[in-house]
Amino acid sequence: MKNQLDKLVALQDLDLMLQELKEVEALGFDVKSEGSDTLKNARSEMISKIPKPLLGNYERLRKRYKRAIVPIKDDKCLGCFMKLPTYLLTHMQRDEQVITCEGCGRILYWLM
Amino acid sequence: MAIDDLITYFREDIFFEDFIADTKEEALDKLVEKFVDAGIIKNKELVAEMLHRRESIGSTGIGKGIAVPHGRTTAAPVLTIAFAKVNAGLDWDSLDGKPVHLIFVVIAPPFEESNLYLPVLGRLVEFLSKESNRNRLNDVTSFDEFRELLTE
Ligand SMILES: [Zn+2]
Repeated sequence: MKNQLDKLVALQDLDLMLQELKEVEALGFDVKSEGSDTLKNARSEMISKIPKPLLGNYERLRKRYKRAIVPIKDDKCLGCFMKLPTYLLTHMQRDEQVITCEGCGRILYWLM
Repeated sequence: MAIDDLITYFREDIFFEDFIADTKEEALDKLVEKFVDAGIIKNKELVAEMLHRRESIGSTGIGKGIAVPHGRTTAAPVLTIAFAKVNAGLDWDSLDGKPVHLIFVVIAPPFEESNLYLPVLGRLVEFLSKESNRNRLNDVTSFDEFRELLTE
């Protein structure tokens, strides 16, 4: 069973795939004619498992920035490069809950 | 970094000159595991899900014995390519129906400053479209030989 952050990340990965379907096809890869619909159906199923407020936040962030979820690197948000406060880094249970950047509002993801 | 420097996206610890798998699904799962073992990614499940989903909308078997499973994932820190040679051949639902002997797994982050993912993917496909390159890849037995082939 995935935690909520993993569900959001899977959603963002699926959105990335949808966005670049045409470009990938142009490179010579096979994409079935129903490929886009298959992904959209998977998306509908996926968002039905995400709590509404969380999903709303993801969609708002996606509209505002290109990517709603960004990684943390060197204790910085890779969306706005703000250094994250120590309490956030030390007290948050890694990957267990959805944490947003105080600078830009993006959802944060630990890569390692 | 020039797009032509394809070799810079490969790593010796995710290079396999004698890779064994019974099915395409097993091969994808095993190769994602190798990315985890090499410390490149942490979340095996998310990356595997992305690659399997990609296959569900069209095989990444581009014919002539080659598969290039690919995708962006939030779980990837940098653009990285794994190489696996399946000497026995593996069914990949390829367009030409032929078994796959060379697998290139291309994993990219959701965004990169220089946005090289699609150009690199294109460059790789172009490199693989040459018969002489494919033949030589099939004969490669070490990462050094592989590097030589890609940089000459
Ligand atoms: Zn930020």
